[in-house]
Amino acid sequence: MKALQWQGVNKLAVGTVPDPELRNPGDIIVRVTKTVTCGSDLHLLGGYIPFMEKGDVLGHEFLGEVVEVGPDVRNHRIGDRVVVSSFISCGNCWYCDQKLYSLCDNGNTNPAITETLWGHAPSGCFGYSHAMGGNAGSHAEYIRVPFADVGAFAVPEGVSDERALFASDSASTGWMGADLGGVQSGDVVAVWGAGAVGQMAARAAMLLGADRVIVIDRLPNRLQQVERHIGAETLNFETTDVAGELRERSGGRGPDVCIEAVGMEAHSRGYDQLKQQLRLQTDRPVAVRDAIHACRKGGSVFVLGVYAGFVDKFPLGALMNKGLTVRGAQMHGQRYIPMLLDRMAKGELVTEHLATHVMPLDEAPEGYRMFKEKDDDCVRAVFCP
Amino acid sequence: MTRTGKVLMFAVPVAAATAATVAAKSRAKRTDHQRRHVITIYRPLSELESEQLPGSLREITGDVEITLRPAPGDRGTEIAVRIPEGSKITEGQVRAALRETRSLLETGDVLLPSGPATTVKTLTNRPLQTATRHGREGGLL
Repeated sequence: MKALQWQGVNKLAVGTVPDPELRNPGDIIVRVTKTVTCGSDLHLLGGYIPFMEKGDVLGHEFLGEVVEVGPDVRNHRIGDRVVVSSFISCGNCWYCDQKLYSLCDNGNTNPAITETLWGHAPSGCFGYSHAMGGNAGSHAEYIRVPFADVGAFAVPEGVSDERALFASDSASTGWMGADLGGVQSGDVVAVWGAGAVGQMAARAAMLLGADRVIVIDRLPNRLQQVERHIGAETLNFETTDVAGELRERSGGRGPDVCIEAVGMEAHSRGYDQLKQQLRLQTDRPVAVRDAIHACRKGGSVFVLGVYAGFVDKFPLGALMNKGLTVRGAQMHGQRYIPMLLDRMAKGELVTEHLATHVMPLDEAPEGYRMFKEKDDDCVRAVFCP
Repeated sequence: MTRTGKVLMFAVPVAAATAATVAAKSRAKRTDHQRRHVITIYRPLSELESEQLPGSLREITGDVEITLRPAPGDRGTEIAVRIPEGSKITEGQVRAALRETRSLLETGDVLLPSGPATTVKTLTNRPLQTATRHGREGGLL
């Protein structure tokens, strides 16, 4: 079958690889119909997460049709249209029972790397390096989905592929930031990053009852999407004093909940760029610093952006003295996908506008180039294998 | 900057941090060789006492000391394994056995990696391939 393979740093190619096989009785094989780029893929592409091998298949946010089922699968049949959580979870361990699915104890076949680096291993993820299990990704014609009864969900009739696709990761991640960040009725919520995850976090905050939701970015087309499709307020950090504006818009208190949806490759100049060039830090925590500084006393900061290693100048003093709660997570998709599909069916959550560029899998290397360089106002490139 | 330079720029700090963590752990291990390997399984002790331990933990039962006790807060059962002096069993075998046992007791199965492989062997990915072949034997457990 055809698949998009990582060939080295900033080097992608569509090649021919063996078809995936059922390996465990709870597996299904899905024929991928839509699969989408994610900002976190750029960390793999750029060599920021150095656990990739030449030939690895990328992609973790996808939707497709079930073409094969293992003997223990109960919830899916051949021909079902399913959207799949990007994280692989067993559904039976203590973490899954607490609905912390991305922390599953049994979903990562290679826990040694992350356990050594971080103290404990998160679960496995599709197409996200050998630190996350080395699972073949979704930018391919077919994909194996383990623990399918837990991680794959039938898409209701009436919800388009283009909408349901984003339940796989972006919408789940965004919803998690607002939910576990503790957004309540009447809150002021600030979201750093107007990509797909940031937009979904903003929409989630609105649906959870926030009084004001403000999204911060520098790209005019993304901020326009926020205003038009999400209905939130916007701030351009290149033309506005964000901290001052957030204070003013929140009665001087600061936002109750700050959601960071940017990650380790945050746009930055000066200090962090210098540190990076001197190889003294792996991740650029610009947006996390801003969020902690802006957040109201006793407020909550949720880190949705992906980080891999170590950061410098982390504002621990502000965190402690302001009594903040800082939390982060990879996404617990299985917790949110059924509810998100329901909201998508009702029209409360729209995502089609995120797919600014739709193309065949053969054009995926060019799709990633456009996505990375934000060429032609690319927000997300969707591939149709 | 060259492509190799870019790889080194990000890979080196992460690799150095990983190596530093491993070195610190291994220094600690030299003075702490009697420490037990412990895992928590999300099944009550009463259930586990009534059945045989499955998988590779059963295979090494005669060569290690195994104790079971209830975990606090309804978190299941803690299984502790100590490798006696002179045992031929390695720490890697114990870690893999504990992880397999937990998965078997919680899910009835042990997840296998994706397959067939899509990657190719290169000089630079050889260490990573070696590490992933022993992915359940390493780590801190």
